[in-house]
Amino acid sequence: MKRYSIVTIGFILFLSLLLSACSSDSSSGGKNSGSEILVGVLLPVTGNNATDGKDMLNAMEMAVEKINNDGGVLDKKLKLEVADDACDPQTATAAANKLVSKKVVAVVGGYCSGSTLPASGVFHNANIPMIVAAANSSELPEQGYDSLFLINGLVPDQAKTGADYFNDKGAKNIVLIHDNSAYAKNLADFAQKSVEENGGKVIGFEAINPEEKDFGSLMTKLKSLNPDGTYFTGYYAAGGLMLKQFKEKGVPGFFMVGDGSYSPDIISIAGAENANDLLVTATPTANFIPGAEAFVEEYKSKYDLSPGPFSALSNNGVNLLADALKRAESTEFEALKKALKDTKGFEGIGQVIEFSEQNTLSQSNFHIMKVVNGEFTLEK
Amino acid sequence: MEIFFQVLIDGLVIGAFYSLIALGYTMVYGIIKLLNFAHGDLYMIGAFVGFTLLSLFTGDGGVNTGILGLGVVFIGTMIIVGFLGMGIERIAYRPLLLAPRLSILITAIGVSLSLEYSSMIGWGASYKVYPIKLPNDGIQLLGTQISFAQMGMIVLSALLMLGLRLFIDKTIYGKAMRAIALDQTACSLMGVNVHRIIALTFFIGAFLAAGAGIMSGIYYGTINFLMGFTIGLKAFTAAVLGGIGNITGAMLGGLVLGILEAFGTFYMGGSWKDVLAFGILILFLVFKPTGILGAKEMERM
Amino acid sequence: MKKYKKPSLFLLVICMFILPFLLNSYWLDVLTLVLFYVVLTQGLNIVVGYTGLLDLGYAAFFAVGAYTTAILMTTFHWSFWLTLPVAFLFAAIAGVIIGTPTLRLRSDYLAIVTLGFGEIVKILATNLEITGSASGIYGIPRPAIGSYIMASQKDFYFLILIVAIISIIAVYRLGHSRIGRAWVYIREDEDAAEAMGINRIKLKLLSYATGAVIGSFAGSIFAVKMSAIAPLSFSFLQSVMILLAVVLGGLGSIPGVVIGAALVIILPELLRGVEDWRYLIFGVSLVIMMIFRPQGIWPTKNNTEDVDDIETEDPNQSISISK
Repeated sequence: MKRYSIVTIGFILFLSLLLSACSSDSSSGGKNSGSEILVGVLLPVTGNNATDGKDMLNAMEMAVEKINNDGGVLDKKLKLEVADDACDPQTATAAANKLVSKKVVAVVGGYCSGSTLPASGVFHNANIPMIVAAANSSELPEQGYDSLFLINGLVPDQAKTGADYFNDKGAKNIVLIHDNSAYAKNLADFAQKSVEENGGKVIGFEAINPEEKDFGSLMTKLKSLNPDGTYFTGYYAAGGLMLKQFKEKGVPGFFMVGDGSYSPDIISIAGAENANDLLVTATPTANFIPGAEAFVEEYKSKYDLSPGPFSALSNNGVNLLADALKRAESTEFEALKKALKDTKGFEGIGQVIEFSEQNTLSQSNFHIMKVVNGEFTLEK
Repeated sequence: MEIFFQVLIDGLVIGAFYSLIALGYTMVYGIIKLLNFAHGDLYMIGAFVGFTLLSLFTGDGGVNTGILGLGVVFIGTMIIVGFLGMGIERIAYRPLLLAPRLSILITAIGVSLSLEYSSMIGWGASYKVYPIKLPNDGIQLLGTQISFAQMGMIVLSALLMLGLRLFIDKTIYGKAMRAIALDQTACSLMGVNVHRIIALTFFIGAFLAAGAGIMSGIYYGTINFLMGFTIGLKAFTAAVLGGIGNITGAMLGGLVLGILEAFGTFYMGGSWKDVLAFGILILFLVFKPTGILGAKEMERM
Repeated sequence: MKKYKKPSLFLLVICMFILPFLLNSYWLDVLTLVLFYVVLTQGLNIVVGYTGLLDLGYAAFFAVGAYTTAILMTTFHWSFWLTLPVAFLFAAIAGVIIGTPTLRLRSDYLAIVTLGFGEIVKILATNLEITGSASGIYGIPRPAIGSYIMASQKDFYFLILIVAIISIIAVYRLGHSRIGRAWVYIREDEDAAEAMGINRIKLKLLSYATGAVIGSFAGSIFAVKMSAIAPLSFSFLQSVMILLAVVLGGLGSIPGVVIGAALVIILPELLRGVEDWRYLIFGVSLVIMMIFRPQGIWPTKNNTEDVDDIETEDPNQSISISK
């Protein structure tokens, strides 16, 4: 008997906790709708990809500050509501639902494709438009959500950029390596297609686990395959170690990585001497974009570090949203969706945004970057 | 044939790490039948403490530490982490020595989470790059290329294991450890300070794991707070493969697992090599649960 | 005591049905996840709690259910309800496959074998084409009852709530049946149980299969609820979390594991405000909990002592440090 009364008390406590949680949420939501427009941000701010996630968040905060200083949008101030997806699908769904319950008008973000996929479904069902700033697996637009907008170039374009570069340099025998993440596998699959369309041959298609450190036997295998070019499509932590061991083993041919590895960290992990001539398929960072000097300067003075690979895109994402809100003259779903869809010639940092049928960029912006003396330079 | 030897060497290098970590698992299990899930994280802590000490020694990450400085850092790190291992035993495991096996397993998971996330708070979530870089050069042997770094790693871990072997066989403490593994109650009746010996076992386990951690930091170049988890799982597999509770078995199990993985990567591809490792583990447990070196046939584990 | 039991249970169920109308979507999602864990922990409770077989790869069965449903619905366009029996069948087969080689093993070795199986299932899901490899399966259709298509959060909340209630009743009834008593007997003393005429092999396999079927039930619903599944959701950590819930709550105790499930999900969410610190706090509280209340929050009533030594010290089991 004692036990059941304890349980009842415990349960009531639990209930009141839940209720207070929900009531406090709704009250703050009500206040926000008065003078502020809540914008959801879905990014990995903890975990292995936290570095890039935080770079993106910084750039978004810069954009919001600027917009608010210029008088805000629709006579209201923008306010970011950040939810951490930790690049994990399950966490991402919970985070997405958290944003939905905070009644955000739109979401900007999305770094890992694997976690952005399920999250985009949540936003779609809740009638909240999402602007994906970094994630670019071709599976995202394939879902057919009309309120999901991608402002990074897509995986097939990136794969083609890489394959064409190999082709131009006469590299015909290619090894592809991915890290078993949704995005990397997708990129490797498309790279295979592009290489074969160019008349090249994929002589090895390998996978690694992202947390691995020892690629010794894999590099021995590569060496015995004698490739003209190797393309690693995963993230920089494994990419840097792989590059280092690639050089140590003396594997011949080019070493190229995808934009998941486009980070200064890959150079420091591999060591500057090993990183020379490393090729990257990516959308150029602000540093290489003409006209973005002001952004780079401001970012550096504000956060005391250089903008990350997706900082410019994230900044563009928030500005695009503000622009669409102004054109829609409303925060209402249908109007905002239509305004985003009708975007014509929006000039962000280093890109002009217009959407295709599938709400992807009508013009891709991938380039080849090359490391020279420990610095990224624009190769092609 | 050259390729065969090259893959063998690749496997030996990673196997040496597995062996060093597996030793800690096997010693603790041998003595108090505890699967110390947090053991892999001591390896991680070792890498981070070494990172901090090296950074202190070399100012802001200079390269000229010298062999002596490196040696001091090595020993210092191993002793610090060794005491940490002892502390964990004292705080988390000792109160539970007589508790059911499951609760002590859960405690180990709790300790593991605590270690991982306290180092995330302390050192940050992103990858840290070790302040020391090893040269790439090496020698040619039987058509294979072995770098000096690889040789150093293998020799160093062999020395550590040899030292442990001697300690267990020749010293009075080693004798006490073996005795406790056989019968704890009898030992305490015979005047052996059981708690002290258990603490010593944790010290040695953590000491070796920390050594592996700092070696891994120097050899591979990067560390992060989750690096201990997977390698802990693998080392644990190695310990079982060699026959858990058996010191030589742990060394052998680590090397065998490393070599198996290297050949698995080479012939089956990287994504299937773990299937190979775990498949062999299961086969062993089912058909020969005492591992490679287990002599005693046990009826039902 | 009986007098109070029924009304308070009844009250609780009523509350659970009213709750979704009071909660915002975030807390509703958290609560739905709690209910998933309730189902999973009930399944694991049979294996670990009743029969005393330590399982570190339980997420594998969760995966079998989720993937079976997802593949049948996307590739073969089956109705959700028809995929359930197939998922159960596959899960039961998987349970027997994992169970058979482990019949001889006890305690820690059993844990390692199940861990290995769990990892293998995850690696298979990551590498096979039919499971969508690394990115998993997405665009899983919504289930329909007649012409009503279940799509909202509340629909899935009620679905999993009903399944949770069914599985709690099923596990409770099983535990008090002949079979359940035989399981407990095996847990307490395997040899004595066999001597008393209990078919050890059959019952152990039955325990695995039942646990697997309950796990796959949760998995099937997980697939249609999330509408996208990926191998990451079925990792070792997931297995550990489920086991954690069972042990925290109290092995073999039905109300205990329900509380355990709620704690394991809600605690990290409540700590979301302190982001970096939450897993550290979680880890430390685990250790403290095990030191001061190792039998769990709500252990089974009269045989707490018995549960304490599922791992009876077997003299043959000690392994020496030797060459």
